[in-house]
Amino acid sequence: MSELVTLLVTSVLINNVILNQFLGMCPFMGVSKKKSSALGMGVAVVFVIVVAALVTYALYYLVLVPIGLEFMELITFILVIASLVQLTEMFIKKYSPSLYKSLGVYLPLITTNCVVLNVCLVNITNAYDFSHMLVYSVGTPLGFALVLYIFSTIRERLELSNVPAAFKGNGIALICAAIMSMAFSGLAGIV
Amino acid sequence: MLDTILIAVVMMLVLGALLGLGLGFADRFLKVEADERVEKVTSMLPGYNCGGCGYPGCSGMAEAMVTKEVNTFLCKPCKPDKKQEIIDYLKNTPGPDGSTVEIKG
Repeated sequence: MSELVTLLVTSVLINNVILNQFLGMCPFMGVSKKKSSALGMGVAVVFVIVVAALVTYALYYLVLVPIGLEFMELITFILVIASLVQLTEMFIKKYSPSLYKSLGVYLPLITTNCVVLNVCLVNITNAYDFSHMLVYSVGTPLGFALVLYIFSTIRERLELSNVPAAFKGNGIALICAAIMSMAFSGLAGIV
Repeated sequence: MLDTILIAVVMMLVLGALLGLGLGFADRFLKVEADERVEKVTSMLPGYNCGGCGYPGCSGMAEAMVTKEVNTFLCKPCKPDKKQEIIDYLKNTPGPDGSTVEIKG
């Protein structure tokens, strides 16, 4: 049990997928301009990753291993992820057109969000059992959503502050991300 | 060796078919009723998604015209005959509420 808690804290904070592993930078820079769209993106990514991890885990151990096609994991996982993102897109389009608009091109781009594939592949390479897999696949996107949200609150305030002309926009945002990354590395002592 | 390739191909086909079927069903349940003029106008626009009109893409521009958000034709790369075609189409096709759209050239 305590091992699972450790894994959760590690995947959310210490080994944070954006600030420590530098994955998923595209939506991190792209949809962090507004709090509401950052939250929407976070929820969408949590959903996609949890379902994708469950499906790919089952696919790997129930289909690929028995027929001896472990080497096909990459291409089958991509297929599953792409379909799931498509499903999420339809769902959001139907139930929240405003969120659909504010996410724009970044919604279909979850497909190529490396966090999703990373979680699915790490579940396999680290040979996690079911409970570890579940905790890791919930923790990682939660860390993603958390950092994306914190970053969007910072960026909303950056809009109002007096930034030197050369750093306006993405420049100062990247510097903030670097400072956040350094701050998060201080959490490494928790566990 | 050949066996493995064959199994891999069949497996991919089955998996693709299953996922495609699932998406097909989902599409039926999650369908959004949209004003069909938006789609029609989008298909008549050049489709470069250049952003020159100030909208994120051609579909955004088409939606703005159909919902009367703009009443001038903002698309710059559009060919003159296509442009006239879009203006005529919007003038002659009533929407769900029965009203038509007048766009200035």
